[in-house]
Amino acid sequence: MSTLQLNVNGQNYTVNVSNPDMPLLWVLRDLIGLTGTKYGCGIEVCAACTVLIDGQPEHSCVFDASSAVGKKVMTIEGLSPDSSHPAQKAWVANQVPQCGYCQSGMLMSVAGAMKAGHHGNEILSEVKNLCVCGTYQRIRQAVQYL
Amino acid sequence: MSTTTLESRSSRKNEHKIGRRGFLATAGGFTLTFLMPEVTRLSEAEGATPGQVNAWLTIGADESITLTVGSSEMGQGSFSGLAQILAEDLMVDYARIRGVQGGPTMSNPAPVGTAINTVGSSVTRTNFWKMRDAGAIARETLVQAAMNQIGDPVRGNYTVNNGVITHTPDGVTRTYGQVAPDAAALTPPSTASLVPDDQFKLIGKTVPRLDIPSKVNGGAKYGLDVRMDGMYYAVIKHSPSFGGTLAFTPAKPSGMLAVVPTRVIAGTNRGSEATGNVNAVAVVGSNTWDTWQAAKSLRVTWNLPASASSLNNAQFQADAQALLTSAAPYVAGGANPAGTLYTVESIGSVNDAIAGSAKSIDVTYSLPYVAHACMEVLNCTVNYVAGVSCEIWAPTQSSKAVLQLAMTLTGLPSTAINVHTMYLGGGLGRKAEVDFVSEAIQVAMAVNKPVKLMWPREEDFTRDQYRPMALIHARAGLDNSGNVTGWSYRNVSPSILGQRGAPLGAKGDSQGIEGAQSLPYNFGTRLTEWVSHPSPIPVGFWRSVGASVNTFGVESMMDELAAAAGADPYTFRRALLTDPRWIAVLDAAATLGNWNTPPPSGRARGIAIGTAFNSIVAEVVEISQVTTTSLKVNRVSCAIDCYVSVNPGSIQAQLQGGIVHGMNAALYGKQNFVNGAAQAKNFNQSRMIRLQEMPQIDISIIPNPAAASRTTNIGGVGELGVPTFAPALANAYFKLTGTRVRTLPFFPAATMGGL
Repeated sequence: MSTLQLNVNGQNYTVNVSNPDMPLLWVLRDLIGLTGTKYGCGIEVCAACTVLIDGQPEHSCVFDASSAVGKKVMTIEGLSPDSSHPAQKAWVANQVPQCGYCQSGMLMSVAGAMKAGHHGNEILSEVKNLCVCGTYQRIRQAVQYL
Repeated sequence: MSTTTLESRSSRKNEHKIGRRGFLATAGGFTLTFLMPEVTRLSEAEGATPGQVNAWLTIGADESITLTVGSSEMGQGSFSGLAQILAEDLMVDYARIRGVQGGPTMSNPAPVGTAINTVGSSVTRTNFWKMRDAGAIARETLVQAAMNQIGDPVRGNYTVNNGVITHTPDGVTRTYGQVAPDAAALTPPSTASLVPDDQFKLIGKTVPRLDIPSKVNGGAKYGLDVRMDGMYYAVIKHSPSFGGTLAFTPAKPSGMLAVVPTRVIAGTNRGSEATGNVNAVAVVGSNTWDTWQAAKSLRVTWNLPASASSLNNAQFQADAQALLTSAAPYVAGGANPAGTLYTVESIGSVNDAIAGSAKSIDVTYSLPYVAHACMEVLNCTVNYVAGVSCEIWAPTQSSKAVLQLAMTLTGLPSTAINVHTMYLGGGLGRKAEVDFVSEAIQVAMAVNKPVKLMWPREEDFTRDQYRPMALIHARAGLDNSGNVTGWSYRNVSPSILGQRGAPLGAKGDSQGIEGAQSLPYNFGTRLTEWVSHPSPIPVGFWRSVGASVNTFGVESMMDELAAAAGADPYTFRRALLTDPRWIAVLDAAATLGNWNTPPPSGRARGIAIGTAFNSIVAEVVEISQVTTTSLKVNRVSCAIDCYVSVNPGSIQAQLQGGIVHGMNAALYGKQNFVNGAAQAKNFNQSRMIRLQEMPQIDISIIPNPAAASRTTNIGGVGELGVPTFAPALANAYFKLTGTRVRTLPFFPAATMGGL
């Protein structure tokens, strides 16, 4: 059993894990209770689990929780307090989500690209998240505003 | 923007005493109760028992308007569509309606209440008039209460605007909330006048969906997001081969709470997964990751049946090939085992007509098994208190089946069981099954603690109830004028209904042949046949079901005939159609797709038309850059006639999504089997398109009729983008390359790389 200190969405958490290589995804979802970050494939292919670590998009399904110690983790719950992040507003304005399950990761990938100073088509070329519902056309429309 | 939210509401909270004629009093307001007819894939509309209720409209004294229905929300926006229709005739702003997720109710005289199964693209199309009537009846009851208060019984002296009733002679007003308590004491009219079509403020208008705000901030709760105090986590591990059963229960790994064998419960699985088979174990622990790791390393011995070695693609293909010519015809009253030939339609002497034709075509098309692969894996949470209660949270399309299953497994009365329908991270037909629910209930009963059971992605891919494989033999003849003299179509595929024990009549499996039956083309003679394939791999309902299979066969064959006739594929089809609605849809797609203008250099277009769930859809697909391992889909132009369009924005979204679903399957979708073991285990081995590969999709919705008729079937939308994509793609591919693709998927070896 190891004890890890994590900073998630500006808040400090102390979690006990059986093994420090437990992926951050399950620490967030099961131990901390932030369920906005989703499990999709577990092998870094679908990106539904995307979070920002020190501003960089990372796939939390394969990111050891211990590697997040001392860094700032941001999940969809921390993207804004009131859904006011420009990407969130664009997603609502363009009615992007269908089932919505992939959209937390999608939005975190977009937010990461924006943090890197990218816009519009640059973001479009970088976001590789899988959406089985096929919301891609509305994502393309929404990203044009960012 | 809408401020309303979709909330979860459990079944027991829905238990009200039903007042006369479906009205009942609630504190400070009134509730209209009614029944939404249920659609299942086994029967189009289930009979209702008098007094049965599964929908509630409550007007509160606080001006709240709450609609509680049991349909599942899996991204199709049907709940919002129902609220939109209701608001039209209730004459209130759509944004005022609060949506509440209902559960299956046991408050009815019937032993098992009704919930809305969310299948068959049905929610909006089957409840359009129900919602309109409910809104109108509630409105007129509220107006009657206002008339009683004001003392003028002349209805013509009142108007209604956004829930405010105005007595026009003196301007005195009453709000719905002010009169709701009095309305609760009234007997409602059995019918009420509807808003005339030309005065619609909502129906036919794009309005924002109710559930979207919660889907951009992590707030939406899917089945996998359920958490409760003291909850344990279970991870399933099935036999890697279909038909395998547990040899003995493995020892509990250190640190885990339990290893629980689970058996197949009647009605929850199919084919090789016979009732009673112990085909899985669940490892139970204190969090997902540790439990999953323990499940991965758990050594389990499975007993495989002798038949397992025959469960492979080569055998399935050989069986299908043999049945193209040797199937024994259906015998009325006979056993009609798998391998039986059913004649669905027979008009004239097809063989003679084809033999006497100037030209004939004789080809076969082959489609694979395909997994559903919803973004959210299968999961279910159960809190079972032995002998007392059972509470279930599930991302389910079939909450009523969940309730029935829980009653069977626990022996508890319906009143002791609570079913919560959670948001579905995709349904696609897979979450109409309840195998995963049955496992979760079994585990919870074994450990007598709250448990959330998850299928890892690998289990989700390898233990699906798949879209059936199919081998299709099509033959047709042409005369020298390009007329089709005869059309013969035989589909050999495993039976979805047969695996569910539904008796197949003389015409076989209606789901298996849909999309190939009653084709509106003017063929001189026709023979439509369906043969049940004996494969025991479990099959199920996959977005658009049989239409996704047969439209590929039919519309590929139509294209082959056009080519043989030397005709343009669009005008060839148009000349064989007589139904003006089909012609209008075909024309609309051709216009949208610039059919009569040559495409840019290096590109080609294909066209296809078809029907499912009372809607007619045509697509023009434009492609380029064909290699041996890839191609580019540049544009898809899609036209639909669904008779009545409620929310055009939602229709566009659903068709875009359906087209992507059809594209993923046509290009890459397949599940292969070796000794009964499914080979594609995760998204890396079952490629789908990403954002950068998305074509431009344009949608044309045939305008609503001037005045909708109750006697005309309203069409579905949610599954309609799928069926015509694959044939339109193959037809474009032929145009561009001269090669006819008759076997799906296009690129079976494709993989999807990590990020």
